[in-house]
Amino acid sequence: MHRGPKAASVGGVSAARPAAPFEAELAAAIEAWGRGGPAPDFEAWAHRVFAHQYASVLPYRALCDRRGVTPATVSRWEDVPPVPTAAFRRVDFASGPPEAVFHTSGTTDASARGRHLVPHLALYRAAALTTFARFVLPDGAQLTGLGLVPSPALRPDSSLARMCGWVGETLATGMEWFVGADGLAVDALLARLADAEARGESLLLLGVTAAFARLFDACRARGTRFRLGPGTRVMDTGGAKGMTRPLSRPAMLRECWTLLGVAGYWVVNEYGMTELSSQRYDSALADRFAGRSLAPRRLVGPPWLRTRVLDPETLAPVPPGATGLLCHHDLANAGSAAVVLTEDLGHAVGDDGIAVVGRVAGAVPRGCGMLLDALEAT
Amino acid sequence: MTPAALDAAIARAVEARARLRDRPLERTVAALVAAAARWRDDGVLAARLPEEARLAPAMVAAVMPLAAGALEPDAMGVLVEREHGPGALRRGAPDGPAVVAHVLASNVPALALPAIALGCLAGAAVVVKSGRHDTASAPAFVRALAAADPDLADTVVAAYWPGGDRPREEAALRRADVVVASGGADAVAALAARSRTRLVAHGPRWSVAAVGDADPEAAAAALARDVALYEQRGCLSPHAVWVAGDARGFAARLARALDAVAAELPPIGADVAGRAARRVLLDEAEWTPGAAAWSGPGGAVVYDPEPAFRPTCALRTIRVHPLPAPAALPALLPPGAIECVGLAGVDAAPLAPALRARGVARVCALGRMQMPRLTWPCGQAAPLGALLGRSGPPLLEVEP
Repeated sequence: MHRGPKAASVGGVSAARPAAPFEAELAAAIEAWGRGGPAPDFEAWAHRVFAHQYASVLPYRALCDRRGVTPATVSRWEDVPPVPTAAFRRVDFASGPPEAVFHTSGTTDASARGRHLVPHLALYRAAALTTFARFVLPDGAQLTGLGLVPSPALRPDSSLARMCGWVGETLATGMEWFVGADGLAVDALLARLADAEARGESLLLLGVTAAFARLFDACRARGTRFRLGPGTRVMDTGGAKGMTRPLSRPAMLRECWTLLGVAGYWVVNEYGMTELSSQRYDSALADRFAGRSLAPRRLVGPPWLRTRVLDPETLAPVPPGATGLLCHHDLANAGSAAVVLTEDLGHAVGDDGIAVVGRVAGAVPRGCGMLLDALEAT
Repeated sequence: MTPAALDAAIARAVEARARLRDRPLERTVAALVAAAARWRDDGVLAARLPEEARLAPAMVAAVMPLAAGALEPDAMGVLVEREHGPGALRRGAPDGPAVVAHVLASNVPALALPAIALGCLAGAAVVVKSGRHDTASAPAFVRALAAADPDLADTVVAAYWPGGDRPREEAALRRADVVVASGGADAVAALAARSRTRLVAHGPRWSVAAVGDADPEAAAAALARDVALYEQRGCLSPHAVWVAGDARGFAARLARALDAVAAELPPIGADVAGRAARRVLLDEAEWTPGAAAWSGPGGAVVYDPEPAFRPTCALRTIRVHPLPAPAALPALLPPGAIECVGLAGVDAAPLAPALRARGVARVCALGRMQMPRLTWPCGQAAPLGALLGRSGPPLLEVEP
């Protein structure tokens, strides 16, 4: 069950089998929602996914058996046992041979890095792109993408890089990558921004928050400011991880306006995890296009991703607004582990959002914000 | 106390200190002993501390005698004669700093007692800035000292201000010849950056234990008490124990012992961040090959076959590792991070040089880890020498 140091193949995976037809069915349901159709029936899908994972993901079945939980005993989706992210550092969860293996960033100690095996990449792609379109491109804009992340070719094990690659192929007019083997290509990026400004071009800037912090440092060091074209937007992720100096959320928004000419509501923070196939996004832009500009900023997600805030000791839900451990139920993880208990503390905001307070003390450092550090350290 | 009032109080303390320059230190020792006894029995303080220090009343009742006991006459006598020279008890204090300022951490209560005692034995006027979770112990001790020896009490100023109050910090530290700061790494570093005087810094450290050829039941009981006292918040609290022989079996015993201690010293509820940290630690143990975890009302124990030290989340949580041989212990300790090693069934003498080289400051028997004497060379520095600005080799005290 556990990964051995000499394991050449993927451990913990049951015998090869064709991708479950319902994964394709779920992907279709997700894409239908993206086209304005009804949301997948979460409760029904949660039971189907649980039964599938109990039957085909052997380490997960062992966990459920230790907890005394089976599909026959679960009557509510909230009762499906969660997998702690610590487990992803030791065990592979997959219902079949993986089409991709993604690793968490943040440490050079391989034993401390988690990995997510994805047996049905099309489902992941459907979930990621549909969610991105809803929350980052609610106006249907087609922009040129600038990637302040490594490309999928450079970091094939990064789920963020893969997602940005898909965005470039599908939702943007293309993607230009500004993180190379040596890290962020600051000079090239500044030149590209200057060119865009001169031509009034609108851009889709995607990257880790730490990369934006370095871009801002470079702008200030050189006395450079840009006024990028209308509708230019920024999607950043990774928070303060990997930064050489703190950059608060208000400071990030202020710098985007001051140095890039991008107003705060065009700046969308993403919350994602290697262990998940779906993401949450800052609500600001989607709210603006939905006529809810006064709604509080929060991290919102698609209807097949539900997040509960749990008491760390009992794993019972905390009262609304109270802080607890975030536990995500991501149906798009149908091929691995749908319910993931994180090492993130947060609280609910309104009926559909969350806010992340921070990492649990003592948790393993991780996060795509450290992608740059990993590159620059090699 | 306003900055001006604080400044005036320190000026008065300096004048009072000048009046005691020639007074034999044995009178200072006697006054400190008497004050500690009076402080130990301070019912008002005992009633206030649980809420302020976030400890159960039973825990406060257990730790107040321990804090007062550190100021026992033999240890103070040994300390004075060892650091000031033979016959020093019958003489006045040697030349040294006029003002010692202590900026105390707030993780455990009663840190003011050794701080004030050491300042007095160094012959200095003492300014004590309490931590936010124990603003009562220092003034209570000054009151106790005033009852025993008003002249000596006049040399001590107990104050409190919230962190970041620069005017009062400036008033307190401006006159100091040496500042002693304890606390979290960020707080200590920030103070170091602001301090213009000599700084003795005590940042975060941890303690550990080792069990060799000892009665495992007794060793587990003693270690459980060392873990539970002060809710495992201090630098003398053990976070890991290496066990020769059946380490996994010892872990189970230790979990039972922690539950037994909890019946006497009930733990207080932890905040969500602490409970989350413990959940993460236990989740990790569940998925680590060969590891095991026990969690109960008295705390949590993780059996970890990997020998490397990692601090736990506290909250009475400890890792148990196998110990191949006692001689292997020093190499398992991260350099400069371990303050105290508690031993049971392990001969300290052959390990002492290697432990000292590893940065360990104190070795004692299990069950005594939370009972340091005033001679404890915290951070491997001579307790009085650090105030007097004397340099010396790193020290390790091996208690009998």
